[in-house]
Amino acid sequence: MMEENEAPQLTEDEKKLFEDLMPEDLDEILDTGVNRRHFLKLLTLTGGGLLAYQAAAAEQVLTRPLSLPPEALPPSTLENAVDLSLRINGTSQKLTVDSRMTLLDTLRERLGLTGSKKGCDHGQCGACTVLVDGRRVLSCLTLAASCEGQSVKTIEGIAQGNTLHPMQQAFLKHDGFQCGFCTPGQICSAVAVLDEAQKGEASYVTGPVRLKAGAKPSPVRLSEEEIRERMSGNLCRCGAYPNIVAAIREVQSGKPVEQTWNFVG
Amino acid sequence: MRPFQYTRAQDVPTALKRREANPNAQFLAGGTNLLDLMKEDVERPDELIDISRLSLSQIKTIASGPNAGGVSIGGLGKNTDAANHPLVRQNYPLLSQAILAGASGQLRNMATNGGNLLQRTRCPYFYDVSMPCNKRAPGTGCGALEGINRMHAIFGWSEQCVAVYPSDMAVALAALDAVVKVQGAEGPERAIPFADFHRLPESTPEKDTNLNAGELITALELPKNQFAAHSYYLKVRDRASYAFALVSVAVGLELNKNRITRARIALGGVAHKPWRAYRAEELLVGKEATEVHFVAAAAAEMAEAKPLAHNGFKVELGRRSIVRALHMALNEGKS
Amino acid sequence: MEDKKQLVGTPVSRVDGILKVTGKADYSTDHPVKDAAHAVIFKSTIAAGSIKRIDTAAAEKAPGVLAVITHENMPKLNTRGGIRGGAMLQGPEVTFYGQHIGLVVAETFEQARHAAHLVKVEYDPKNARVDFEKLASEAKVPKDKKDEKRGDVKAALADATHKVEEVYATPIEHHHALEPHATIAEWQGENVILYNSAQIVNGAQNAAASTLGLKPEQVRIVSPYLGGGFGSKGGQWANLVLTAVAAKMVKRPVKLALTRQQMFNSVGLRQRNFQKLSLAATPDGQLTALAHETTTHAAMQDEFVEPCGDCSKLMYEVPNSLISYRVVPMHLILPTYTRGPGKSTGSFALESAVDELAYKLNMDPIELRIKNEPERDPSNGKPWSSRTTVQCLREGAKAFGWEKRQAKPGENRQGNYLVGYGVACGTYPANQRPSSALVKLHRAGNDVTATVELAAADLGTGTYTILAQTAADALGVPLNKITVRIGDSDFPSAAGSVGSVGATSYANSVQDACVKLTDELMAKSGKQFFVRPTAAQLMVSEKINDHQTRVDSKASEKAEEYSSHSFNANFAEVWVDTSTGTVRVARFLAATGAGKILNPKTARSQILGGVTWGIGMALTEESIVDPRWGNFVTRSLAEYHVPVNLDIGQLEVLFIREEDTISNKLGVKGIGEVGIVGVAGAVANAVFNATGKRVRELPITPDKLL
Repeated sequence: MMEENEAPQLTEDEKKLFEDLMPEDLDEILDTGVNRRHFLKLLTLTGGGLLAYQAAAAEQVLTRPLSLPPEALPPSTLENAVDLSLRINGTSQKLTVDSRMTLLDTLRERLGLTGSKKGCDHGQCGACTVLVDGRRVLSCLTLAASCEGQSVKTIEGIAQGNTLHPMQQAFLKHDGFQCGFCTPGQICSAVAVLDEAQKGEASYVTGPVRLKAGAKPSPVRLSEEEIRERMSGNLCRCGAYPNIVAAIREVQSGKPVEQTWNFVG
Repeated sequence: MRPFQYTRAQDVPTALKRREANPNAQFLAGGTNLLDLMKEDVERPDELIDISRLSLSQIKTIASGPNAGGVSIGGLGKNTDAANHPLVRQNYPLLSQAILAGASGQLRNMATNGGNLLQRTRCPYFYDVSMPCNKRAPGTGCGALEGINRMHAIFGWSEQCVAVYPSDMAVALAALDAVVKVQGAEGPERAIPFADFHRLPESTPEKDTNLNAGELITALELPKNQFAAHSYYLKVRDRASYAFALVSVAVGLELNKNRITRARIALGGVAHKPWRAYRAEELLVGKEATEVHFVAAAAAEMAEAKPLAHNGFKVELGRRSIVRALHMALNEGKS
Repeated sequence: MEDKKQLVGTPVSRVDGILKVTGKADYSTDHPVKDAAHAVIFKSTIAAGSIKRIDTAAAEKAPGVLAVITHENMPKLNTRGGIRGGAMLQGPEVTFYGQHIGLVVAETFEQARHAAHLVKVEYDPKNARVDFEKLASEAKVPKDKKDEKRGDVKAALADATHKVEEVYATPIEHHHALEPHATIAEWQGENVILYNSAQIVNGAQNAAASTLGLKPEQVRIVSPYLGGGFGSKGGQWANLVLTAVAAKMVKRPVKLALTRQQMFNSVGLRQRNFQKLSLAATPDGQLTALAHETTTHAAMQDEFVEPCGDCSKLMYEVPNSLISYRVVPMHLILPTYTRGPGKSTGSFALESAVDELAYKLNMDPIELRIKNEPERDPSNGKPWSSRTTVQCLREGAKAFGWEKRQAKPGENRQGNYLVGYGVACGTYPANQRPSSALVKLHRAGNDVTATVELAAADLGTGTYTILAQTAADALGVPLNKITVRIGDSDFPSAAGSVGSVGATSYANSVQDACVKLTDELMAKSGKQFFVRPTAAQLMVSEKINDHQTRVDSKASEKAEEYSSHSFNANFAEVWVDTSTGTVRVARFLAATGAGKILNPKTARSQILGGVTWGIGMALTEESIVDPRWGNFVTRSLAEYHVPVNLDIGQLEVLFIREEDTISNKLGVKGIGEVGIVGVAGAVANAVFNATGKRVRELPITPDKLL
């Protein structure tokens, strides 16, 4: 249980500040960035949520190792073993895998990184999206063996040190998820989309993609339509698409995007 | 997925030799279709030779030879890079568009240009190992011929196979008269004209292409042309994105004022290979680029279609899509 | 001042959100259970018959394999214990294509998957009944759905000058929650922990226990997060108990996740429906007859019939009415509840027919609906606890810009597109189900913290958040001092998150517990209070360290005397490509009256989800059975088209402010289901307005508009 330790080392002023905070103000905190210290407060502020063990997990969200040392497996479990070394969320990992093991299963079953999800295992849903050498790929269709020497970033490593990534903050603010199962893939994908737009990569809805002779691609300002097309490889069965679009728009533009619900009568 | 040995090739000759030594081996590049099919137990290699890091990803202007002045695209380059390379976007925006119409951002980051051409059909009877399929298991029959065939071929099918070929990129390559450069373990590099690369099913639907066993796609060559100003890739699908084509149309036009001097049209989603609309092309050359000629050309092409029980709509859809794509090409991609 | 402190009704961001954006929310197979073996199911490749021979020798010898389980070595289970859909390996019979016929347990997933392909099966096939088009004529009256008649529909139809008589067809759909059904089973002596997504935590516990021959207290369901459910995780399916059996057999924890392909014939489906809708009206638009006759299919052993006629029972005032069902058993998996069961598909038929009638009467479809607004529930004569259909229509029309609609179809051309507007209404019952809650208060100095426990579910609906809000207000404890613990059968039993009863049942029980707890503290103090203190104040003033209380809440008897429902009106603007027939929903507005909105942020998301599902139903989703063999030819997410981001245009959500404390104390009506109801109808009606083409078979794919 953590109720006691959770009322942390706040000053009286901080305590008052947070107790007075209304939900609307929460968004402001999110806007200005949440570091680990803030995070603990925010967790408190938002109710701690959660089962005790979830709360304990939550407390560790930003401090938990970004990948666990792989568990050794009995030899009978390894066929066509491949020795592998790669970087996962900034940490070097060495492990031996069955040649058939996908990157997704390696993350989930061997490295304790269960944030990346298996929604279809066939490249048709996007829930397993991770960044390999900076580009978004589907870890379910990537053999772990083929990642030798590469650098993998998962949802667990998206936060910038002890600070949530702006995309994570925007998803929170805009309720860019419901069940949350597609969310790790959505966020990894969204982070990459910003980078792709910056590099001037086109999409099918960009319109004429032709460049004049000698011209180079220039950064793309993402319209809602552009975001929708570029995020279409990430299914969300709960239907959070408009909120995901709002979150990405907000991060790319750097300007708050309104959330609207109206009451009448 | 059956057990397999994983090896990584350090250079092209080693990869080819290794492949030659084991007829049950396959090359692994992007893996997006191969691993998918291995999980389904459709593909059953006992060795994967990882070629993804071989240096065959360059995109460059062709300096000499029959396609001098054109562009060469490395067989192991990623789809995303091909679609966005300045040489491609400047000279072959049709190819960029077609690549971008396919799959998703993640998959295009993984898939290679050569691998894209080697995608296998998405026919569900092919994918389901409990179903008859002459392509997967020759002699078992075609499940789709008298089954559910809404997504299947209207051109060039046989009693043995009515599957369609799923790539978008290849439809543009067909329209652009690309040349596929391939290398086997023995002998010199071969150049296969795009029209001859993929096959119709006939009595051997298990063979998708005319690639010989063990050959590797090293590059795709795009001859120089003047279609960049008037080209368009139209893809019609059941949902707005991330779906295979019901029908797609790649169009390239060269115009003298408003007169068509050269036309290239290829269709996707209608046959076992990208379907070049030669008849429509012929009818267009020398004509004014106007609705009436577009309609006539489209009608002539689609008149030869032989639809199955559930895909009759593709004939009308193909006709309309050709017309629309021609207009879009004429208007430089503006609707 | 007081208002400012009220958290209920404010857009609090999800309290579980941080875990979800960092990948730390644990879904079924994410729980870190040590030493788990991996199981993979294999399935029948015929639809009807029996297994003649099953050869598992090669699989058993494959590296890493710990067990191969088939009907030949499967322990006897209680097949009537509440697990849906059979397929528990209790014999050689096969009653649908893709029925589970065994599973392999191995050290690793790779080994189990491979070994499952090594099992050889010979069958004695029988004729499979899998062609619904042919079998529909054999359909009979279902066991639990007799015809409901009022007046004389036949005569009224015969007499009418204006009528519509059409059949509307909807396809088989699949839920495809993004988290496939998955379980980790871990035995501790004679007790088993099942980490398993469950919309009804206690339901899963009871079904597993009864099926496995255990007492409920021997089974613990752990389901803190669900990766969606949409009805498919309401009942539980064979995979749950198969995992438990496998774990027992290999004496280790076992992890089993269905593959996406297996999801097509493992966990139910929304059945295919032919709905014949007959409407008759006077020339000025007064309805005189409404008949809604549904023909559908069920499984060979079990019946489930989605109630397509429900909306038709109560949406309109009509003297002559018939609601009927006919069902035919088929060799397909058992259908089950799917988002907006019956109402979403039924409203497509009803609201399309109303639109057709309005067109024939040359009336605005909104006015036709309002003209036939019933004062009481026509199906039972009860008064409405509240009804907001007219407000939804009026306010929705205003906000949407309905006046810009051109009544004549096919007239609004924009470049290559035809633009159309459509409207359709929906409704869903508002019920409170029995639910218990335990609330604990703890004090340390002046600091009071609260814990709320109940076996509720949050499948993305926002349960954690609304319960924290409810308890904060009711106890006077700040949100930051409240811990909500749900999704575990060790907690007090609770209703399921199904049929839009979750928020109502959970929030009322938590509210009741908080009130009771406060009452107890007041009594304990022995003091008189002029102003009712909060529980938090009492804990401090009376220096009480710990206090807890539990309540078992249920609906009031008064609620029974009324008809309680959520209502909505949906407005769609579609753009139809005149060349290709592709339809885009450019704009959609849902006006909803669903009682008290506990949290507008999460409530809006629920409506967005319903609308997205409805757009999928209207335009993209369809599961197709091969009529020869009974297999699904749409067998993956590449062929079964869940809407993608680009399919969804501008969505607007409008709530009708509503005080309805008759249906329950908090006035909550539930929004998870109603959001989808009426959506497909609005889209189809908009397609008609755009093109003049009436599509009566969903989904409206491009081929249907050429």
